Amino acid sequence: MGSMGRKKGEKIKNLLIFALPGCITFCAVVMVPFLYGFYLTLTDWDGVSKVKNVVGATNYLAVFQDAQFWSSMGLTLKYVFFSVILVNLLAFVLAYALTNGLKGQNFFRTGFFTPNLIGGVVLGFIWQFVFSRVLVNVGEATGWGIFSSSWLSDPGKAFWSLVIVTVWQLSGYMMLIYIAGFTTLSTDVLEAASIDGATGIQKIKSVMIPLMVPSFVICMFLTLSRAFMVYDVNLTLTGGEPYGTTRLVAMHVYEKAFTSRNYGVGQAEALFLFLIVACISGLQIYFGKRKEVEA
Amino acid sequence: MKFKKVIAIIAVASMVMGMTAGCGSQETSPATDSTAEESTEETTETTESTEETETPAEESAQADLAGTEISFLNSKGEIQAALEEMAVTFEEETGISVEIIACGAGESPYTKITSAYNSGTAPTMAMLDTTDVVALAKEYAVDLSSEKWVSECENQVTKIDDKVYSFPFCVEGRGLIYNKGAIEETLGTTFDPATINSYDSLKKLLEDLRAAGMESPVVISKEDWSLAAHQLGFIYDTYDGTTAGSTELITKLKDGSLKVEDYERFEQFLTTLDLLLEYNINGEDPLGALYEQDPIFLADGDAAIWANGCWAWPNIADAGASADAEYGFLPFVLGNDTADFANNGIQASASKQVMIDAVQATDVQRAAAKEFLNWIVYEDSGQKMLVETAAIIPACSNNAYAALDPLGKDIQGRLESGKVFSSSFIAPSDHWSVLGASMQKYIAGESDKAGLASEIDAYWTSQK
Amino acid sequence: MEKSKKVGGMKRFLLESAGFLVTAFLFVIYMVPFALIFLNSFKMKRDIITNPFSFYAKKGYSLENYVKAFEKMDFVKAFGNSLMVTGLSTIAVIILAAMVAYYFTRSKNLFSTIMFSLMAASMIIPFQAIMIPLVSIYGAGLHVLNSRFTLIFMHTGFAMSMSVFIYHGFIKSNIPLSLEEAACIDGCTKTQTFFRVVFPLLKPTTTTLVILNVLAFWNDYLLPSLVLGRKQIFTLPLSTYAFYGTYSADYGVIMAALVMIVAPVLVLYLFLQKQIISGVIAGAVKS
Repeated sequence: MGSMGRKKGEKIKNLLIFALPGCITFCAVVMVPFLYGFYLTLTDWDGVSKVKNVVGATNYLAVFQDAQFWSSMGLTLKYVFFSVILVNLLAFVLAYALTNGLKGQNFFRTGFFTPNLIGGVVLGFIWQFVFSRVLVNVGEATGWGIFSSSWLSDPGKAFWSLVIVTVWQLSGYMMLIYIAGFTTLSTDVLEAASIDGATGIQKIKSVMIPLMVPSFVICMFLTLSRAFMVYDVNLTLTGGEPYGTTRLVAMHVYEKAFTSRNYGVGQAEALFLFLIVACISGLQIYFGKRKEVEA
Repeated sequence: MKFKKVIAIIAVASMVMGMTAGCGSQETSPATDSTAEESTEETTETTESTEETETPAEESAQADLAGTEISFLNSKGEIQAALEEMAVTFEEETGISVEIIACGAGESPYTKITSAYNSGTAPTMAMLDTTDVVALAKEYAVDLSSEKWVSECENQVTKIDDKVYSFPFCVEGRGLIYNKGAIEETLGTTFDPATINSYDSLKKLLEDLRAAGMESPVVISKEDWSLAAHQLGFIYDTYDGTTAGSTELITKLKDGSLKVEDYERFEQFLTTLDLLLEYNINGEDPLGALYEQDPIFLADGDAAIWANGCWAWPNIADAGASADAEYGFLPFVLGNDTADFANNGIQASASKQVMIDAVQATDVQRAAAKEFLNWIVYEDSGQKMLVETAAIIPACSNNAYAALDPLGKDIQGRLESGKVFSSSFIAPSDHWSVLGASMQKYIAGESDKAGLASEIDAYWTSQK
Repeated sequence: MEKSKKVGGMKRFLLESAGFLVTAFLFVIYMVPFALIFLNSFKMKRDIITNPFSFYAKKGYSLENYVKAFEKMDFVKAFGNSLMVTGLSTIAVIILAAMVAYYFTRSKNLFSTIMFSLMAASMIIPFQAIMIPLVSIYGAGLHVLNSRFTLIFMHTGFAMSMSVFIYHGFIKSNIPLSLEEAACIDGCTKTQTFFRVVFPLLKPTTTTLVILNVLAFWNDYLLPSLVLGRKQIFTLPLSTYAFYGTYSADYGVIMAALVMIVAPVLVLYLFLQKQIISGVIAGAVKS
């Protein structure tokens, strides 16, 4: 669609005005440091030393030998799988409900959004209390075995605690993007569908969902990348405990670089993480685009 | 239409801003951060000269230090406010302004110093753990061997290749914290902590407490740093009670000539740990413990013993203990030899080290930093504030101020009577994290003695 | 939003009530942690730790935490810094990103394909992987750290990809090319078309992005902590550093600080909510 600019001069002018300022800022802040970071993986630099020797692929070989990296990658995949599904399901349903004239919907929207405002140590503190104290109290009162001991001291349940907090935190965020999608949907289409006698469910299935595909693609992508990169929640809620069983990959990378002081290996692992997420989200976008309908 | 114009104007303005932000900030930076600017410019000229010509530079700068701006990286978050107060007093007395930089929540001091060195904004002084100083000293720290305070703090300085690169900021000790009031109330008799000097005597105390109605007298925190760096750390520190001894032990573990399961202290340590776990108030679900709740057990008298160190005082005080309550340390007893140093004293050593930057600071700044250290060691106001404002147990023996809290008092008393051993083992920076996980497995019953031992062996033999 | 008052009667009413109840129930669950923070911000530390879920507080409720937080954070100054950094960064991101996204959707050339892929890919770069190179380049290399403008520049750069990505999706599927052509039949420039026709139509997306970006900038801790080294230019989250000890944290004060930091964002959010709705209604009226 070459609608933008008929002459060559105008094309260049448009490029300069529209694309360059944003792209330059982006490259200066993200791409240049990223490339420099790539260079650092080829050296034996430890993060502080004044000496940097180029050592080639040594750090990458070390990544393959780091069994913990791969096991935390496996755990992260599982975590991402459940988080992405639950977050998007809940966010979509909420957005649908809250754009459909539900009483007090503005108030509700604000409520679902508040989890995003809480981060760091306070988030960890509150949720630790929920999982290790409140649930245990509930267990004592009801006698339900699932609540008999702290969720954070059992590797399996600690994992689900992470998923729950993630869903709680991210679904309100994604809800916002879905809401934008719903409100931008041309009202005509919906009106037309209603006149044709489409009921609620049919309307969702045949009219709305196809038109919401761009929102889906965006939200899936954002949830995927957020979930793969999760660090804050991991650190403050479980800190990788019990005994290192809930250490997700971003936390492992951070610890490799700064706690174990293997800067080069940590940086190389970060690049691996990047490549893996790139492949997965690339696929997701590719399939999403194929389903996209031209509006 | 007007609205659209406004948008267009904003658009243009922000574009310009976006493109010139880099230059804009370059202009502002000398004003906002003169120290960083100066220091980095000077780096090239001074790096070669500083290390050798330390003393003359110091002398020439001494004259007009007033007005110098220096910075101090603080890695003890709880004394941030106290250090800021000290900086104010110091500036009033000397005219040197010290900015105290905090390590944020969840940010390790090492990460902070790493990014500071990379960004050319290294603090003039940095308070770090001994391990970090060992890692950085030769490249980045000023040699302080000829400072006067070295003789005052002789027993607590860390030497790297026989040189002193850091000032021992404080002494910290660890063992089993007891609540005397709770013990006496439960048992109905007076309690003399000196009687706990063997495994059997500790066992007897715990049995008595349980019999008298205190069901679970012990608190074991589940934090990995506590379990690995502090509890497991006893096996290194009690090798012979000196840092040199612990290093010797670690060397043997690294080259595999000693397996930890063949090492007597490990056996003794686990026996005592098992005893403590049997009486642990977090008993059935030891990993479900909450660090904020642990001191409340102790202060309320639900428990009487907490395996921890003097840094836990603020937590105990927050939990409701008053500063005149009787708290103190029992040794983390190992075996039944009552003559064993490990059963008669607690571990106490300099734990935070202050190094002065040798690379990015100017000569004047370095001289001002030395002045600050001298102020802490020699000036009355510095000594007083260190102990009373910051609640620090000083490492230098010339400071006569008495600690204000019971745990500090106990350690000071023990330093005077020699009932301490000063070993401070130096381990790789991920020791607490890796072996902390192993220790958690052990206390949760997920691994046994053999399992723990093999993980410890594997950790050490994998170190270069 | 009265668009679906149609036939259905009883069944519809029941469905709607059920929907309302479920939503209300979820709402309560979502709000609980925030309510707890609010409640506990008035309590003393020991009461918070022993029973954060109780309304009962042995030592009573007080505003002490708020006073302490306000003073220690140097709240007014930090608020000003946060306002400046967040405001300018958000304006810059919104306008630059909308333009970039518009260019990418309307000019399909090699440049836009490559840049778009790079931006999409960059969203999955772990921040840890750029952290040290970033401070090396801007600190040791260019000496521009310790400046609020550097932070604004970096915020803009980091937020660019997500904003472009979201704008891109919506422009592509919701702004028909024919509309632009019709609006500017008498040959106005691309810049005019963009600001007169396209940008106003993007309002719901813009509002969403304003919220998301404001939230990200306002609450960000890691990037400002790397860039801003001096207290005078600290943003709000940075200025809470004094409440965290190595082994303990002053929870009452931290929660009070959190409430004060979060309140402005919530107000903004409520305000913008109305904007989204009125934007949609205005659009509907026109057509």
